[in-house]
Amino acid sequence: MGNNIIELKNIMKSYDGNVVVVEDINLEVKKGEFVTFLGPSGCGKTTTLRMIAGFETPTEGEILLDGKDISSVPPYLRPINTVFQRYALFPHLNVYDNVAFGLKLKTIEVKDEKTGETRIKKLSKAMIKEKVSKALKIVDLEGFEKRSVTTLSGGQQQRIAIARAIVNEPEILLLDEPLGALDLKMRKEMQIELKNMHKELGITFIYVTHDQEEALTMSDKIVVMSDGCIQQIGTPEDIYNEPANAFVADFIGESNIYVGKMTDKLKVHFCDAEFTCVDDVKKNTMVEVVVRPEDIEMTTPEAGMFTGEVKSVIFKGVHFEITVISGKYEVVIQSTKSAEVGAVIGMNIEPDNIHIMMPEYTTNIFDGVINDSNMVEFADGEFECDVTQLYAGSSLDDEGMLVLADGNKLDLKGTEVEVEVPINAADMSDDENAGGTCGHIISLIYKGDHYTYTVRTKNEEDFIITDEDLWNENDYVSVIVPKNAIKLTLKNPEGK
Amino acid sequence: MAKFGFSRKHLAIPYAAFLILFVIAPLLIILYYAFTNATGQFSVSNFIGFFTDSNTLGTLVYSATLSLTTTAVCLLFAYPLALILARGGIKKRNVFLLLFIMPMWINFTLRITALKEILTAIEHNLAFYPFINSVIGMTYDFLPFMILPLYTSFLKQDKDLNEAAADLGANTINVFLKVTLPLSIPGIISGVMMVFLPAMTNYVVLDMLYNSTYIMGSLIGSYFAAYDWNNGSMISVILLIIIFGITLLTNRFGDENEGGGRVV
Repeated sequence: MGNNIIELKNIMKSYDGNVVVVEDINLEVKKGEFVTFLGPSGCGKTTTLRMIAGFETPTEGEILLDGKDISSVPPYLRPINTVFQRYALFPHLNVYDNVAFGLKLKTIEVKDEKTGETRIKKLSKAMIKEKVSKALKIVDLEGFEKRSVTTLSGGQQQRIAIARAIVNEPEILLLDEPLGALDLKMRKEMQIELKNMHKELGITFIYVTHDQEEALTMSDKIVVMSDGCIQQIGTPEDIYNEPANAFVADFIGESNIYVGKMTDKLKVHFCDAEFTCVDDVKKNTMVEVVVRPEDIEMTTPEAGMFTGEVKSVIFKGVHFEITVISGKYEVVIQSTKSAEVGAVIGMNIEPDNIHIMMPEYTTNIFDGVINDSNMVEFADGEFECDVTQLYAGSSLDDEGMLVLADGNKLDLKGTEVEVEVPINAADMSDDENAGGTCGHIISLIYKGDHYTYTVRTKNEEDFIITDEDLWNENDYVSVIVPKNAIKLTLKNPEGK
Repeated sequence: MAKFGFSRKHLAIPYAAFLILFVIAPLLIILYYAFTNATGQFSVSNFIGFFTDSNTLGTLVYSATLSLTTTAVCLLFAYPLALILARGGIKKRNVFLLLFIMPMWINFTLRITALKEILTAIEHNLAFYPFINSVIGMTYDFLPFMILPLYTSFLKQDKDLNEAAADLGANTINVFLKVTLPLSIPGIISGVMMVFLPAMTNYVVLDMLYNSTYIMGSLIGSYFAAYDWNNGSMISVILLIIIFGITLLTNRFGDENEGGGRVV
């Protein structure tokens, strides 16, 4: 507890009461840490940062600074400063006045030596000047005081924005994709400089980026976010080597992700072969396996644990990227050695390079209602289903009434049920009328021989669907679920 | 080049002809009359006359006071209004903006006649309050010209700047004084120009409100009505120089503040 500078507790943020951008964020940041929020655009990382800065108030939950709730404290009273994505330098002020902006507003308590009373005083001009020159020295822009900020280059403006924030000696410095607008070389330089600045100043840095490499380079702790939720919190090494789920594995670095099955203690079967692994998971469990491309070793077909045919070889500078087809699975390898297209090669994977994850979803679960034509309504659509499974031995009569085993008739209209659809049962179509409901594909992850899609309907119900065909993100598809794949259970059995 | 020797610059001929016929030629004629006397001899007596006649000087001061008051009242109304419209998070703000701009679409005579009736109903006799009535009439007429440049200058301001200021320790008042206000100066300048300059020369509003007082516009009109072309022209020239001077001054000042909503 003690040395946590900031804590987020059950933070939820929604707009207009229904658009949830951040749901249930819990996070502890230690004093002096360099924490990075990493995730694709729209994952809620900037919103979380803005809540810490005070520009947004959380809909639910609390933000503790040194143990005190600051959720409703306005930004100007928080000892937190921000470096904005687009710098937000004041165009009507010169470099000096931009950096001195915060200092000129600052008041300090001064003890009067004669009377012993404490008075609130503004900082003296000399003191401001000294602090500004010190800050400009840190960002390497001494002598720029009189320049107009509009005449500076992007990189220089970026430095001024940093100087303007650190000159106030905040307890926490927030950085919202500060390097996004810079070119690659400049960005690399600034990454190192920021990291050094963090070391020298000893301030807690909270950094937002969608660039995984940037996050891995700079952070002490990475918070991977997706769709308003934290997917994993860990050190860069943890996140890379032990991703918590397929999303993290896919987002951080390149990876081969397969669906596998535990065949014995420390034995896992995937890619039509059996491998020894170090994760102890119960026999016969369905798992997801992550293998990093640089962890696959190429060898002769005879010496390999499994074999495949080389489909393509791409030179990437430091290494070759080799795509191999093994059975129906695609394997991506990064190696300093090249291979010949069309050649059959063997491949080996060391046990500790096989990372086993528990699959997040095997079935989709929805709340549904039976309507008057004995179809089940869920996920913004209606689907044909077999309602007789709700009552053992029942059947339907001509009028659509359910005849129970004891001969009593039952009208099912309005019955609330729980609907289960296995992720491999549903199918997608680009014909809007083909399926029971429609939605946009919001994410896809390649799993060696198939893709896992998330389809989001208009009221934000998510359908997880596996499919061998490639669809694109944002495609509008209809979801087809075969009648016999829908499993229904009564929600309150003793009710109707 | 086409074989008839037609190039794009020939498209400017109609406008150039218009300019020569209706702007430059009349200006030259006015200049000629301003510096001649009734017999057609060169003379600066009109010029000296203007600055020695307490009547004309008094009218100049009265006109300036009237225009300044109108501009100040317009600014006072328009500034908070434009700020709320641009920043207040009002849904369908274009509809609200339209509501304030709409009077411009109504025929000028109709507008002022309506205003006259309203003022008569309140004051009974318009002649008792010439100054206030003139200010009300011109404010009514020119307010949209103040709102629009201010509104665009607020819209142009980057919202991040307000957040940055708040982040650096500025409370709501300081954010306004140190960021919003200085950045809206170009908008204020163009609004002031768009109201002050026409208010300086306008006399139709006063005329229609049965106003007995004289301003620069009516002074020129009365000289011309009495066929005194020379004095009337001199007053026009002096007014022109004053306006030109003010425009020059504000443009130079406005250039130092980038990113505003300059219209002039």
